[in-house]
Amino acid sequence: MAAQRGQAHTGAVAGSTGAAKTPPQPPLVIPPTAPPATTPPAPGPGETDETTALPPPSSAAQQLYSAAKGDLLQIRMILKNGGSQSTVGSGFLVGASNLVLTNYHVVSQMALDPGVYGGEYIDTDGKTGPVELLAVDVLHDLAVVRVNREGSGYFQVPERPVRLTQGQYLYSLGNPLDLGFAISEGSYNGVVKRSFYDQLIFTGPINSGMSGGPSVTASGMVAGINVSKRRDGELVSFLVPVRYAQELLRRVAQQARPPKNFNPLIGQQLLAHQREMIDRLLAEPLSIKTMGPYRVPVRESQQLRCWGRSNFRLEAEYTADSVSCAMEAAIYVSDTQQTGHVSMTHQYLRSSSLHPLQFAVLASSQFRVDRLGASRDTRLTRPSCTEQFVQTASLPLRAVTCVRAYRKFAGLYNFTLLTASTDDAQASLQSRLDLAGVSFENGLRATRAFLSALGRVHPERRPR
Amino acid sequence: MSAGPWFIEILARNGDVLQRQRVDGLPIRLGRGYGNDLIVDDDYAAPAHALAELDADGRLVLRDLATRNGIVHQGRRHHSLVLTGDTVVRIGHTSIRIRPADHPVAPELVDRTFHGWEGALPGAAGALLVGVFALGVRWVSDTQYVESVRYVEALAWGIAAALLWSGAWAFANRLFGRHARLGRHLFIIGSGLVALGAYTLLAATLGYAFSAEAFTHYASHVATLLVAGIIYFHLCTIKPPNRIRYRWICAGLAVLGSVLILVANVQRTGRFSDELYMAVLMPPQLRVSQDRGVDQFMREVEGMKEPLDRSRGHKPGEDATEN
Repeated sequence: MAAQRGQAHTGAVAGSTGAAKTPPQPPLVIPPTAPPATTPPAPGPGETDETTALPPPSSAAQQLYSAAKGDLLQIRMILKNGGSQSTVGSGFLVGASNLVLTNYHVVSQMALDPGVYGGEYIDTDGKTGPVELLAVDVLHDLAVVRVNREGSGYFQVPERPVRLTQGQYLYSLGNPLDLGFAISEGSYNGVVKRSFYDQLIFTGPINSGMSGGPSVTASGMVAGINVSKRRDGELVSFLVPVRYAQELLRRVAQQARPPKNFNPLIGQQLLAHQREMIDRLLAEPLSIKTMGPYRVPVRESQQLRCWGRSNFRLEAEYTADSVSCAMEAAIYVSDTQQTGHVSMTHQYLRSSSLHPLQFAVLASSQFRVDRLGASRDTRLTRPSCTEQFVQTASLPLRAVTCVRAYRKFAGLYNFTLLTASTDDAQASLQSRLDLAGVSFENGLRATRAFLSALGRVHPERRPR
Repeated sequence: MSAGPWFIEILARNGDVLQRQRVDGLPIRLGRGYGNDLIVDDDYAAPAHALAELDADGRLVLRDLATRNGIVHQGRRHHSLVLTGDTVVRIGHTSIRIRPADHPVAPELVDRTFHGWEGALPGAAGALLVGVFALGVRWVSDTQYVESVRYVEALAWGIAAALLWSGAWAFANRLFGRHARLGRHLFIIGSGLVALGAYTLLAATLGYAFSAEAFTHYASHVATLLVAGIIYFHLCTIKPPNRIRYRWICAGLAVLGSVLILVANVQRTGRFSDELYMAVLMPPQLRVSQDRGVDQFMREVEGMKEPLDRSRGHKPGEDATEN
């Protein structure tokens, strides 16, 4: 997914660009909600016109905004102690109901820590009221909340998916950076193939704070929900297709009362995601690439993209070539936790001039990983590791698997597999597989598949 | 008690004799004035401070000549005090002991010091060892094209650091022993560094050859032991007769160091070991033990599920400590 939903949300943190060139860190995107940077400026001299009555709406955007503003809301997460806002996003009233659609990442604090955070809405007239969380869809980054007022019926979430043609105008509504409600015009440019779940490409500005707002066609039909943008691009934004919102609204209609604790529900959704993710990863045998005499498994697809790199021009006595494949998107759970991600890296080190002992020191230093994620990360247990010398079908190697469990989500684990070949005194193939947020069985399955696929092209000529 | 000659000794706080003066007969007059037998250069001593003479029983007695600060023995002021050869009295800020010529002394110590191994010879050997160590460390981690300046730099830094370290010990040696013995101290640090390097290599080799990860998981404790050993030899060079006491002190230091390392590891990572896993990769010819199969490896990975699920239920920070 090109990066969005999950990472979509780094809030006001500085956006790094060019992430796509350094594969191990998934690139990604922007933040929709976030603490506001500034307060709205006072109207400039030309902005207030007290002399005449407003002219009748002329442009499409003008008409849309004036018709839609009554049903447009800003959603704020409120720290219960102290009552101050911690993040802000947007949302909209669905039809004439009291249900509001927004992004999961706008209300994630309320979903994960209901004791600490509450929610509040503000409409375009400045009226406020409480919000009640009814349902979340972590995988598509959607949530439904209930408010104490009803919509005018302007925003219709169609029963059937909206048909869009490339280049069609879309209008995105929301409250960017907490500066005030805004409408921005852009165009629809197809479906992202890179994301794990479909998202629409919206070529238009979406800023932090607009997340959860609607993007509508010129006729006022909701086409998608604002979710994220690429930080390394210009006007490359993403929408959640409205059909996922329809599914979520149907689920809300069926449930008698909202769950008290959303954590198990989120855990289940993450489990469903990893099932799909690992099934897709292992649907067919991993494809094999050759690095020198070694055969390395990779999976290259629309979702998993591979990048290669070499130290060729470095002034060094050794050569290091690496291939990294990583999913470009992860599932956003909270602003500090993203999961449901797979990445694999192979590094082929070799040297003809280094003494074997020197090469051993070099290979050892490359093989050493001091921390797997933050060791003080309290949402995960400490890593538990298994280390052995292992012989695969054609390659002896040193294998280390470290696993950490998620404390809040039963049945989810992070797996890391590190391997280093032990067949050559002057060459070393070092591979790494990271699986974030998978079940133990799937972690074992993927680890085994990856490990057993590592091999040598000509095993019979192995020096050992 | 014999009659003279007598020896008055001015002592340092640690019991060393700072100054010794022979007096041929009694009584002995002590004080700051020039008419005394021993002139005490101490502003807190009176011009005529004390007088030592034999009493009726033939014992040597020191009498206070009505001074303001008096004579003090074991923290208490005495008007007069019977002196044995081992009685130390304080006059002002000066500690004094008076001994007759026939005072018995301890027999001579057996000289185990290898006097040929002093000065330039061990110094050169030590510098050589330090140099070998510095160059070896530089060489083994050198992955760039050979440039001799990096080796010269490594050599210079290594020797300079070793000189600083052994210089500090030589200073202490001069202070508390009689000679600086810089050469010996340089040899000790040189041997110690080479031993540390050799152990690192040995641990890596053994761990890699026999899948014995404990050698590198707990390598810091052996290093602590080796450092304690280095300190022990430095101390023995300063005061050879205290060998036994230093042995205990250094054993204590090693244990303390090890405990601190364990505590720090647990605090930092929740593990006793220094590292998450053994990252050592050596030339494949060194492998001795049998490789496992993928199935065996995966079975062991599977075995981690239960402990992980158990610690999932714990609060952060209350996880069971692992090895």
